Amino acid sequence: MSGAVPTTIIVYSLAFAGYALLMTALNRRMGLSLLVGLGVLEILLLVLVGMIVARLADGGRPPSLPTLIGYLIATPLVPLIAGFWGALERSRWGPAVIAVAGLASAVLIVRFHEIWPAIHV
Amino acid sequence: MSEPVASPKTAASPPESTRTGPGRLLVAVYGLFALSASARAAVQIATKFSHAPVAYVLSAFAAVVYILATVTLSNGSPTARRIAVVSCSVEFVGVLAVGTWSIADPATFPDATVWSGYGSGYGFVPLVLPIFGLLWLRHWAKRAKRASAERAIMPSAGDADVVAGSVDGDAHPTGSPVRSVRDPE
Repeated sequence: MSGAVPTTIIVYSLAFAGYALLMTALNRRMGLSLLVGLGVLEILLLVLVGMIVARLADGGRPPSLPTLIGYLIATPLVPLIAGFWGALERSRWGPAVIAVAGLASAVLIVRFHEIWPAIHV
Repeated sequence: MSEPVASPKTAASPPESTRTGPGRLLVAVYGLFALSASARAAVQIATKFSHAPVAYVLSAFAAVVYILATVTLSNGSPTARRIAVVSCSVEFVGVLAVGTWSIADPATFPDATVWSGYGSGYGFVPLVLPIFGLLWLRHWAKRAKRASAERAIMPSAGDADVVAGSVDGDAHPTGSPVRSVRDPE
């Protein structure tokens, strides 16, 4: 599996988290740009999940399959839950929640690589 | 009379419960840790418990503490806040104790827990999270105290939000009939 998608996700989610933190620092509320950014993150994560599932379907097996399946389920939920939780907030702390989702996504991709080195970063 | 007189700061600042304002971020991070710690503990205990029993039991304990903190911080009632103080304190002591233990006796920890090395595997977030949690809860304890003091001195001027927060944590609509009856004007 090429490392292009995971690497793109890490770079994108860190940049996105930085943008969300900037919004927090500037005392901005949740806006359209953050929701669109979350949507892009969601799509990228779903592409990665699809690639990993395809590899599993091809017969590839990680050292710990239950862990990988847990990650495959939990990862796409991160931007969704953060989006709902952050949108409920009408202060600068909404974007701060989105920043957490960005940072968590980057960490999750690194963990994907650790639990299955076939997923290159 | 409206509530800004009683507590202008409260009326002006957005946080009206422990889960809003900075609490929104705290609950998000606690929720993230609750989820990851419990998933990790579940997999470890289910698949390879004998490999590192102490580490896995501690992972499960940490997971329970994180779940408790997430739920009580997002609830925010006085009882929930008291439980949250206990769970954040246990969490802080746990990070320090397990962190020290994992460094002093690495043989007991062939596999890491959330709190190993003071949470170094998680960017030391487990170390700073309980500090922010306790600061946030202290802020709320002070606020509830101030609100009840204000209520005792001048019942009519009590801020509905804060007074309600010290009773059941729910925001009540402002300008209720009871308040206007008690209003000296």
